[in-house]
Amino acid sequence: MSVEVRARALTKSYRDGERSVEVLRGVGLDVAPGELVAIEGPSGSGKSTLLHVVGGLDRPDAGELAVGGRSLVGLDPAELARFRSRTVGFVFQFYQLLADFTAAENVLMPARIARLPLGPWRRRAAELLAAVGLADRAAHFPGQLSGGEQQRVALCRALLLEPPLLLADEPTGNLDPASGEQVFALLLDLVRAQGTTCLLVTHNPEMARRCARVLALQNGVLNELSR
Amino acid sequence: MRPPPLAWQLAPRFVKSTRRDAATSFLSAVAAAGIALGVAALVLALSALAGLQRALRAEILDRTPQLEIELPAGSDTGELLRAVEKVEGVRFAQALARSRGWLVAGGTAREVEVVAYADRLPRSFPGARTEEAGAGLVLGEELADDLRVRPGDRVELVGTRPTLTPLGPQPRIRALPVAGTFHSGRTERGDRVALPLALADGLLRPGPPVLEVATGSLEEALPLAGRLREVLPAGSAVRTWQDLNRPLFFALHLERAVMFAAVSLIVVVAALVLVADLALLQASRWRELGALAAMGAAPRELGRLFTLLGVIVGGGGAAAGACVGAVAALLLDRFRLVRLPSQVYFLDYLPFAVEWREVGAVLGVAVAFTAACSLWGARRSSEMQPAEALRR
Repeated sequence: MSVEVRARALTKSYRDGERSVEVLRGVGLDVAPGELVAIEGPSGSGKSTLLHVVGGLDRPDAGELAVGGRSLVGLDPAELARFRSRTVGFVFQFYQLLADFTAAENVLMPARIARLPLGPWRRRAAELLAAVGLADRAAHFPGQLSGGEQQRVALCRALLLEPPLLLADEPTGNLDPASGEQVFALLLDLVRAQGTTCLLVTHNPEMARRCARVLALQNGVLNELSR
Repeated sequence: MRPPPLAWQLAPRFVKSTRRDAATSFLSAVAAAGIALGVAALVLALSALAGLQRALRAEILDRTPQLEIELPAGSDTGELLRAVEKVEGVRFAQALARSRGWLVAGGTAREVEVVAYADRLPRSFPGARTEEAGAGLVLGEELADDLRVRPGDRVELVGTRPTLTPLGPQPRIRALPVAGTFHSGRTERGDRVALPLALADGLLRPGPPVLEVATGSLEEALPLAGRLREVLPAGSAVRTWQDLNRPLFFALHLERAVMFAAVSLIVVVAALVLVADLALLQASRWRELGALAAMGAAPRELGRLFTLLGVIVGGGGAAAGACVGAVAALLLDRFRLVRLPSQVYFLDYLPFAVEWREVGAVLGVAVAFTAACSLWGARRSSEMQPAEALRR
């Protein structure tokens, strides 16, 4: 399952004391269903902000944004939460696993939040953990896992409900090269297998080149680097 | 099967894991212990008051007629007595006369209230046997001790109705046998004596005629008062045991209400600690909350999660406090552990009576305070911006 993402003239600014910092200055974005797009840019250029806006975690100040043909502008917090639950899977640089829950329970969390019958999703969680080589670590808590293992758990969690859109914010940024490569390869495999639309923020040019398109966010504007 | 709402799924685990974090577990323990202490104190204080009031009420009601009717002056007491006896629920009725008088024995004179009765010793003279009573005066044990008289002795009763003699009005004095004594107790406000109307004839100047009415129980007396009013002439006053002791019952009720409000403040203060606890708990889990929001949890649901956490901590404390308070009250009463100086009080120990309805009310109030404070404490989660939470 996949969706298209379409954004026009997105702007977003933050207040930093008295000063207003403009992070997105009229960003336009078109991602076709099932496309894997990398976004590059220096630190602080607004890559995470763009992902948060596209994923319904933050609201743009102005502009148009539609995911799967549905406009996100004007949705209330509960509708945005529903959108995130049904449509988006997030992978963060620092994993953001819940420390009190085991790997399997963390993977199952989106089904709990969506209040879906847990039986079939438990099986899918176990399958996903097996697919990323963590079948024997399912009962471990995040504190008992390495960074690479935690990110693989986070990847399983993001893909549990087969969301049509995956947003990955520097998923290998906190990992050593070998673990990073392993996580990235798994991400590519799973995204391609499910046909998921994916926006990937990365600092790693080598990884960006392996995506279908590379965009660069500079000075709040998104430019096409390669196709 | 559909899982329960997110708050119910996550709260038990969050409570369990809170113990690992020293600061939040300390604050949670302080809040729960404070609420437990407040609830236990409230349950104990109310049980002590209930026990004391129950004993006092029994003591007072032992000395109060179930129903008393004051008839208008000049009414036909005999006819009205027959009318009253026909009213449904009346088991016994008799005419009484009340007057002041002086009791003289061994050179000591004491002012007394004289209650003259037609048929049998009124129930407001507890602990005396009626078969002994017909023969003469029944006086309180303490008065009998003070006058150094015992049943069978003779005492002189000086009435309030004088005899006119050529030398001027002279008091009427009658020597009467002491037929028995009654338990005067420490709640008696003055000395009372009872004697049959036949023996009081011509001696006293009674006030308005009075009827004493008895029914099955104190509770039955209340509706009976209404039925009695229907058959009595205008100007009659029907007073139940409640009317006769209204100021006392009001004072007892007020005392409990004030005690409830005062001790509840402990619970309020403890519940406010819960607000600080929840704030700390939210701050320590802010990024996890952001991750939950990213997975589709609405901020309002996260607010409910923390409200539930507060209610679990506070409600647990309240339940523990209610158990401790109730068990302590039952033990203190069972083994009479709080002693009172019997020279001062009418009891030699402090009785405790656990009224479960009251314990339920205390629990309800504590949980309501807790819920209100938790709702307040959890508002930050309800208003969170998921993207900001993830940036921290």
